[in-house]
Amino acid sequence: MEEKISVKDILQTLRQRLGLIVIITAAAVALAAGISYVILTPVYEASTQLLVNQSAADSQQEFTSDELETSRELINTYSVIITSSRILDPALEELNLIRSVDELRSQVSVSDSEESQIVTIRVQDENPDAAVEIANTIGAVFQEDIIDIMNVDNVSLLSPAELEENPSPVAPDPVLNMGVAFVVGLVLAVGLAFLLEFLDRTIKSEEDVEEKLGIPILASISTMPPSRNAGDLTSTKKQRGRETYGA
Amino acid sequence: MGLKGKSRSAGAFDKQRALITELDKRSPIAEQFRTLRTNIQFASIDKKLKTILVTSSSPGEGKSTTAANLSIVLSQLGSNVLLVDADLRKPTVHFSFQVSNQTGLTNVVTGQAPLQATVAETAIANLDVLSSGPVPPNPSELLGSSKMKMFVEEASGLYDYIIFDTPPVNAVTDPQILAGLLDGTVLVIRSGRTEEEQAKKAVASLKKVEANLLGAVLNDRVLEESHNYDYYGEG
Repeated sequence: MEEKISVKDILQTLRQRLGLIVIITAAAVALAAGISYVILTPVYEASTQLLVNQSAADSQQEFTSDELETSRELINTYSVIITSSRILDPALEELNLIRSVDELRSQVSVSDSEESQIVTIRVQDENPDAAVEIANTIGAVFQEDIIDIMNVDNVSLLSPAELEENPSPVAPDPVLNMGVAFVVGLVLAVGLAFLLEFLDRTIKSEEDVEEKLGIPILASISTMPPSRNAGDLTSTKKQRGRETYGA
Repeated sequence: MGLKGKSRSAGAFDKQRALITELDKRSPIAEQFRTLRTNIQFASIDKKLKTILVTSSSPGEGKSTTAANLSIVLSQLGSNVLLVDADLRKPTVHFSFQVSNQTGLTNVVTGQAPLQATVAETAIANLDVLSSGPVPPNPSELLGSSKMKMFVEEASGLYDYIIFDTPPVNAVTDPQILAGLLDGTVLVIRSGRTEEEQAKKAVASLKKVEANLLGAVLNDRVLEESHNYDYYGEG
């Protein structure tokens, strides 16, 4: 389309291909829903919270911002330690899991709640029981080993991971997947609509005729309705037809 | 014969239904054909357009429907109108108007039958139809013959308007041959179906034979709703 394209043309194109756009978008959403609910294995999450405290000796003193900063640094350090082989190896042993450290590491994420001294260990697993077990084991191993590693005993278990009655998976998130599919499907469909429009070299409007062919429009005839009083004329015509043969 | 024709063409009912200007005179489409009528009447100032050729670039764009409805709206003004099926390759007019096609244009042009006895009256006042007649082996030669010219002259003396339904321009040379003989040519274009290149080719072909190309009829046009309200809301 070498000619300039107006907003009206764009809207017209979209409206003409509305069916196509709706079908493609709906298909994308349905596909995402199917994959999310049927094909993908649900993943469950469990989390253990650890409290990182200042050592007992310092506990009487008031916190200064400096000290708070130090304890935040500590938490960051702990985060790295938790996902290191030093912790994960013994945890694996204890769990009797046939799994590499890297695999286990990919299941574990450590986060600190903002402006607090709490470290949260999150574990994702296809089995909700296993997720809880792994989270608690890592928490316990860490709590023990940190004494050796850093010569401190300031980590206490705040809340252990527990198995909920009806664990709900954290992944896949069907709603999110469907949302993404909706957007992607819509973009693809609109793109396709414009591609088809671009490839379509047919004449559509009065302007097309006058611009491209340089001949005037004598009339525009709307699409004929499929049936309208069809019976009336059929009978009249038949009669007339016979008359003609007679003549 | 009429029945036979009907069973032979599954589209017979559709063809009849297409005569919307007679079936539903108050419909927007009938109004659009009246616009076509007016524009054709005003297309030529010096010379009255008497013989009009209806064609299109490719098959299936609505030539026959347009020709039939144009004939009807012209007859509705009280003019004597003859619709001639000059599509000797794939005639359809006799289906639309349910008339015999045992004798028709080919018989008249070859001198086998007189014009006045061959035309068929239709249920529509002032409108006569001349079906194609037997399909000849050489339609182009027949249409280009001097006898064809004589037929046009004879018919011009009897009718106010003569509308010729013809094959597609890009398929055969028939419309080109006829266009040179007739007063005006109308090119039917089907919205969303006629390709730009085909239409350009058709226009070029018609201009080459110095046809008086009056303009185009844009068929099967999906009108925006607002248009319908603006123009036909009162209908």
